[in-house]
Amino acid sequence: MTLLERDPQAPAAWRGNLPVTSRYTYGIAGEKFFRALKDEGKIMGAECPTCGITYVPARAFCERCLSELTEWTDVGLVGELHTFTLVFVDYDGRPLYEPELVGFVSFGDGGIVHKLEADPDTLEIGMKMEAVLKPKTKRTGSILDIQHFKPVK
Amino acid sequence: MTSRIKNFPGTSLSEKDFADGKALFVHDELKADYAWDTGVGIGAYLASLKRGQILGARCDHCRKIVVPPRTVCEWCFKPMSEYVPVQDTGTVNTFSLCYVTWDVQRITEPEIPAVIMLDGASELSESSVIMGGIMHKLGEVDPKKVHIGMRVQAVWKPESEREGAITDILYFKPI
Repeated sequence: MTLLERDPQAPAAWRGNLPVTSRYTYGIAGEKFFRALKDEGKIMGAECPTCGITYVPARAFCERCLSELTEWTDVGLVGELHTFTLVFVDYDGRPLYEPELVGFVSFGDGGIVHKLEADPDTLEIGMKMEAVLKPKTKRTGSILDIQHFKPVK
Repeated sequence: MTSRIKNFPGTSLSEKDFADGKALFVHDELKADYAWDTGVGIGAYLASLKRGQILGARCDHCRKIVVPPRTVCEWCFKPMSEYVPVQDTGTVNTFSLCYVTWDVQRITEPEIPAVIMLDGASELSESSVIMGGIMHKLGEVDPKKVHIGMRVQAVWKPESEREGAITDILYFKPI
């Protein structure tokens, strides 16, 4: 007994594409945070009076005591470099010609992960890093309204 | 029946609200290309659809003809004996009137997906629901008149437009 043979005209593969699109809205606190970034160029934090924690980015509720966070403050554009890494592959796993610097810049008790614009050899944990914003007219209300962080001279 | 609910809780946003900049958002498009190996049986099936023919396979041991063709009999596990074309006419085995599209848009004229038992394929028995039935759409028919047992025939794309896909059959219409 032999198996049926392949039709020589048969397509080897069925090709397709799944149309997957998404629209993410930031929620009540996120909306307020990104509005402040877009319209005023400010990075906002929220302080919990009970726990003494400053959340950055600002959020609506304290995750420890669950109290509502109404005291929002401008934490400025300068934070401290908490950690950083050099990235050698892109999102699809392809090698990058120029490695990209990515770091976590801490503000208050939180912080922001973003691209860094600096010579990696000069970076030190704990150094001051400043957010470089896009010009106001180009801001869209996204984390990419911050272009990158650079060392404070 | 969400159309009957007049007030949903929460704050809903319309397309206009997004266009007016009432709410910030991030739009993302996931790249989800895929290539699925057709295999021997389905490969032959797709190639024959391009030729305007619906292909099945026969098992001499079970005396069953299945559509689409498989290379191994699902009942006795012996290799299938031969490819056999079946007819493009058949009988509606089950159907549904569908008032939403695949991407959840409401439509007033329903799409009518149906399982059609093709003539020339093995008939339905208690153990062989999947044997000779293919899933497709019905067309050129009043949705109110569709019924189980209705005789239908395939409406094909013009030969020049066929590409070796199940959509080379546009739909089945009543005979």
